[in-house]
Amino acid sequence: MEPEIWSSDFKGNKGFTQWEVHSANATGFGAAADDYMDKGIDLNEQLIQNKAATFFMRMNSEAMIGAGIHAGDILVIDRSLQAFNGKVVVACLNGEMMVRRLEKNFNKIRLVPDTDKLATIDVDLNGCEFFIWGVVTWVIHRVR
Amino acid sequence: MVAIVDCNSFYCSCERLFQPRLHKRPVVVLSNNDGCIISRSDEARQLGIPMAGPYYMAKEVIEKHDVAVFSSNYNLYGDISRRVMETLKQIVGETNVEVYSIDESFLHLDGYSPKQLAKSARQIKETVEHWTGIPVSVGIAPTKVLSKVANRLAKKDPKKYKGVFVLDNPQTIDDALAQTAVKDIWGIGRRYAEKLESQFNLHTALALKKMNETWAGKNLGGVVGLRLWRELNGEPCIELKDQLIKKKMIACTRMFGRPVTSASEIREAVASYASRAAEKLRRQSGAAKMMEVFLVKNDHTDLYTYNPSTDALKFILPEATSATHQLINYALSLADKLFNPGSRYLKAGIILSQLVPDKEVQGNLFTQKNKPSVKLMEVMDNINWGIHKEAVHFGATGLHQKWQMKQEHRSPRYSTKWDELKTVK
Repeated sequence: MEPEIWSSDFKGNKGFTQWEVHSANATGFGAAADDYMDKGIDLNEQLIQNKAATFFMRMNSEAMIGAGIHAGDILVIDRSLQAFNGKVVVACLNGEMMVRRLEKNFNKIRLVPDTDKLATIDVDLNGCEFFIWGVVTWVIHRVR
Repeated sequence: MVAIVDCNSFYCSCERLFQPRLHKRPVVVLSNNDGCIISRSDEARQLGIPMAGPYYMAKEVIEKHDVAVFSSNYNLYGDISRRVMETLKQIVGETNVEVYSIDESFLHLDGYSPKQLAKSARQIKETVEHWTGIPVSVGIAPTKVLSKVANRLAKKDPKKYKGVFVLDNPQTIDDALAQTAVKDIWGIGRRYAEKLESQFNLHTALALKKMNETWAGKNLGGVVGLRLWRELNGEPCIELKDQLIKKKMIACTRMFGRPVTSASEIREAVASYASRAAEKLRRQSGAAKMMEVFLVKNDHTDLYTYNPSTDALKFILPEATSATHQLINYALSLADKLFNPGSRYLKAGIILSQLVPDKEVQGNLFTQKNKPSVKLMEVMDNINWGIHKEAVHFGATGLHQKWQMKQEHRSPRYSTKWDELKTVK
């Protein structure tokens, strides 16, 4: 038997019991809504696919402003995803971590910012230390 | 077959994960209070910095070679460890993982063909590294003791084994044991190894394996030693332990950042440790019936002195409890009795034992019912776990805590605190 690696769902708060239905033992009419009672919405279920591999970081530049990532935003990063061409990634180039869009074709890798103010970086794989730290999956932006 | 998955220089790897600048630089991590070196990266080891050696003795080498130095950041290491173990559980199934320590786990791998084993081992290694960023070594063998032997060799020669070594036939097992000194066998202490070497002229694990069973029963220190000998011979004797055994004892002991002489600071420290222990206790839904408090002094020669008969006190609580304020009260009265004006204290600690499930606390006719404190603790834990660690704490634990241990080089708690997240450009 080969070990199978499957992607996990968030296993957080599943403990939802009948006792949390507040009108469950109402002495008057049992509300029809009791049958339809849900656990409520948990943001973790939406934002976290794989808890073991998910990290949060804070953006502190406007390098990806065109992609809707502002300075001060919180990034949700999943390390378990493959960094395909076109993904927004956290990349490490010569010891520095940056968020950019990854462009991969043939033997060329480029890190593309989403702003006019910064230049695209051509990654020379022979002359530098380069690796992908993780793939950015969500941005949490505070509306002001 | 059994696999052991062991994180390479775990604490250093955690620091490197968030600081890629350190990837080629030597790194060391210091123990509590920045006293000793407790983790070294390969580069630091090659510089000859000794493991568990005092920091001040290695300072010269550290400065000369620009070694990155960190105080221990247990919030970070604990979180990353959880992620590594979680990943392993997802690969081989929750029941097949035995977490052995913060940076190593045994895996049960039954029903794999030898060919699959090597492939799976590499897959396990790659997945952990991809998901968590922590490099690991994998050793696989018929028994736990042999898997440790495999792991050690995999680590020792990374070029040859690439972090994975499978011992799957008698010849490779014997070859590996021939390369393993008796002192490097898992479970054999340095002292015992010296005895085996001098008395019986046994130098390698292979020589020990080849001794016969009656000899092993007589000379290896009883049942434990015999099991070790059997494991060396490929017979599994050390079972995978059950998951999540509830602790029978909860302790919180820490060094002070500097010698403490005042009663009020001792009280603050003991109250803090009591509330920390109480929190751990509630996390496993337990209540404690027995408490022990101890204080460790230093004498003129700057060494520890600790005499259990005068420096520690035990107390049986009238009723088992996990309520912080009650435990603080008891702990403080014990601390007051122990405190000796004029002494210089280096360390304090509290141990809670005789634990019972909090649902089964037996009432005491002469004490008041505990209901209100249960509610209070619930509220306090919800605030502290949900919003911000130590948002609410008892006044007895002090405001400034000047006795807190030194952690001059601690990195941010990148993965557990909102306000310490890694920033990226």
